[in-house]
Amino acid sequence: MDKWECMVCGYVYDPTVGDPEHGVAPGTRFEDLPDDWVCPDCGATKDMFEKL
Amino acid sequence: MRYVIIGNGVAGVTAAQALVQADPAGEVHIFGREPYLYYRRPLLWEFIAGQIEQEAVFYRPAAWYAERGIHLHLGVEVVALDPATRKITLADGLQVAYDRLLLATGGRSFIPACAGNDKEGIFALRTLDDARAIKAYAQKVSTALIIGGGLLGLETARALATAGLTVTVVEFFPYLLPRQLDAEGAQVLQALLEAQGMRVTTGATIEAILGNSHVEGIRLKDGRVLSGEMVLFSTGIRSETGLAQAAGLQVNKGVVVDEHLQTSAEDVYAAGDAAEFRGIVYGIIPPAIEQARIAAANMVAPGSARYAGSIPSTTLKVAGAEVTTLGQALAEGEGYTVLRRAEIEAGRYRRFVLQEGRIVGAILLNEPERAKQAAQLIQKKADFSAYADQLLVGLSI
Repeated sequence: MDKWECMVCGYVYDPTVGDPEHGVAPGTRFEDLPDDWVCPDCGATKDMFEKL
Repeated sequence: MRYVIIGNGVAGVTAAQALVQADPAGEVHIFGREPYLYYRRPLLWEFIAGQIEQEAVFYRPAAWYAERGIHLHLGVEVVALDPATRKITLADGLQVAYDRLLLATGGRSFIPACAGNDKEGIFALRTLDDARAIKAYAQKVSTALIIGGGLLGLETARALATAGLTVTVVEFFPYLLPRQLDAEGAQVLQALLEAQGMRVTTGATIEAILGNSHVEGIRLKDGRVLSGEMVLFSTGIRSETGLAQAAGLQVNKGVVVDEHLQTSAEDVYAAGDAAEFRGIVYGIIPPAIEQARIAAANMVAPGSARYAGSIPSTTLKVAGAEVTTLGQALAEGEGYTVLRRAEIEAGRYRRFVLQEGRIVGAILLNEPERAKQAAQLIQKKADFSAYADQLLVGLSI
């Protein structure tokens, strides 16, 4: 599974970790995140992420 | 088609990328006043804090631009723009012609007039050079005063505290983050900052910077004196509009753009902190990216994409705390019922605003799992009058 990086602030979404604080379970692929998911560090939307 | 972009920040670089994708045959030039490749401003705090090296703030190597045929001109200042002849003039007198131009000139720190502001040790954080200067000076001193308790001020305070300085935040309003928090919520945030070793003074207006050649402290309007060896102003930004103004473009707070991000001059567009849309200069990154993409689409095919304004994110992170502000979060008075619960030691705060039994607004500090539910409840306009007490105990929401 690919990691994705926020081009705004540098946060890296790691699918093995997920984003449990915001209801995203470990093992969730970036592509499967809900459309309204935002970068937990800076609030950027999903389309501001690039695949590493 | 030759596209010229003035500005190498997030708006300029995003537009360049969108331009080469939409028009691979086009020629894209970026002119940047700073000598650096595009860097990520939110990482400047980590750099000042000593958590990352300078190299880590950069995003893409020069090769990335070269591979895409984007021509970078760094450390080059544009001094004039002539929309009639479609030319810009560089500092060395050279003129460059364009077919379509993007003003992505960004903003600069606003520093209010204040006695004694000619001393050494006064800073404002905007650029990488600012960050380098702040970091170098911070290594020689042990105390700092941050003027402005908004988002950026608190991040700067935290960075300097992490670097080992004793930091005092001086806020004009009676409490921190007045646009996002109420007084009770701000108290919880202040306690969190104080637990991290920062000091906070609110309801304070700076009158003068004290010291001989170097900063030694500040005097407030009420006569109080706070000592500190450096002063950082975090009192807002102003759009960089000089070029546009001199060229006769319509300028207000920012360069005025229409729904296609075009300025009052044909073939000249603006995006990011330089641009004003329907009276708003957003001054934050996500709208800058949105505007840059739409401006680029219209530079390739005029009139093809519309901008309707951005909805700023409702959740922000500040000094390690997560603040969510929803709907009529700060509403009070007749017709509104306000429920609050503060857990100072846990660093959590909840505020719900009800109108006729429906939740119309909320503030949630460090309650990320509840923030999303609260947003859904506001959207659903669910009647909550029978369960109002449960909102605070938090069994369900």
